[in-house]
Amino acid sequence: MENALIRSWRLFGAAALLAAAAWLYLVVQAPEEQIQGVVQKIFYAHVPSWLPAYLGFFLTAAGGAGFLITRNETWDRLAQAAAEVGIVFCTLGLITGPIWAKPVWGTWWVWDLRLTSTLILWFVYVAYLLLRGFAYGSDTARNFASVYGILGTLLIPLVFFAVELAQGNALHPSDPAREAGGLPPGMARALHAGFIAYLLGFVALLGMRIEIGQLESAREETQWAS
Amino acid sequence: MALLSITLPSVTDETRDWLPSLFWVVLLLTSLLGLARSFQSEVDDGAIAALVQVPCDRGWVFVGKAGANTVALVVVLLWTALLFEIFLDLGWQRGWAKALGVGLLGSLGLATIGTLLGAMAVAARFRDFLLPVLLFPLVLPILVFASQATGVALNGASIPVHWWSALILYDLIVALVGYFCFDAVLED
Repeated sequence: MENALIRSWRLFGAAALLAAAAWLYLVVQAPEEQIQGVVQKIFYAHVPSWLPAYLGFFLTAAGGAGFLITRNETWDRLAQAAAEVGIVFCTLGLITGPIWAKPVWGTWWVWDLRLTSTLILWFVYVAYLLLRGFAYGSDTARNFASVYGILGTLLIPLVFFAVELAQGNALHPSDPAREAGGLPPGMARALHAGFIAYLLGFVALLGMRIEIGQLESAREETQWAS
Repeated sequence: MALLSITLPSVTDETRDWLPSLFWVVLLLTSLLGLARSFQSEVDDGAIAALVQVPCDRGWVFVGKAGANTVALVVVLLWTALLFEIFLDLGWQRGWAKALGVGLLGSLGLATIGTLLGAMAVAARFRDFLLPVLLFPLVLPILVFASQATGVALNGASIPVHWWSALILYDLIVALVGYFCFDAVLED
């Protein structure tokens, strides 16, 4: 699977660029929301970023579990790559959110449960990367990161159901992606195109990062041998 | 506690709402001191090597350590609760049994995850910096569930089943991950 992903990531990258072009066209063509106006179009960049972010974090846990069970470094490379790419998309969501919030809510940030837990989720995976860097020895780092990556997914249900858990005490609306069926067709098309473009981009970045990981492992082995 | 009592405004019905959150934050910060030293004495005495060689599943070493940390944390919890009652007039009598149940579940979760991360931190550089960085994000669910449930208990209302379920589920998952993964954490 690893080699197949490495061989095909450039293909996924090209597909992601094409999908991004189609997505931009559909965003421009999408009808303007009556109350928020053109600012609402950030929605098409903000909402799709969460799917690859969550996917990356779940793959981090899956890779960690796979490594602990099989001791095969391929799983560890998948976990590390998924964490890094997941952070990229989580960061994108955390940047586009406040840009949308300022004109709509009148503030960049509010400390409601959805926003706070999402920021904390971002911190979990930054801590994951720090742990990899600070542990003594690469084997220790792999073991610790695998366990921490599994634990990190515990936060995802809290983020996902934060608005419901806050019981009305949240400024963030409930998940628009779950309500995409209620969008006018032009808006739904732009949103779905965003999901496709982001997911293709996620796979391309994941494959690229795994290839880099494989090259790093090969270099380490060469250094050991010489 | 003395600092809180001095710096906080007198407790009114509005400020009482955030006292449960403050209670859990105080407990978290206090627990950090003990959790950070959870494996330090073994490292200092070279006893980690003996722990690694115990003739049983290493998961039981984790159970023992987490159990000891839970007991220590419950003692801190009771002491902190007493201080909050005396100095901040928290009013435990309105729902002390339910609040105690939440306290026990929250302490178990904090101790379990803290034990696992404490074992990792002692085998890493910048351990004093690393443990809070690793611990604080992961205990957010416990803080959210426990402080909300404590607040409900102190208002004399019954705690919704989903708060209990969330706390029990979180504790259970963390305990299972700790038990099955401790072998890998203690490996090196």
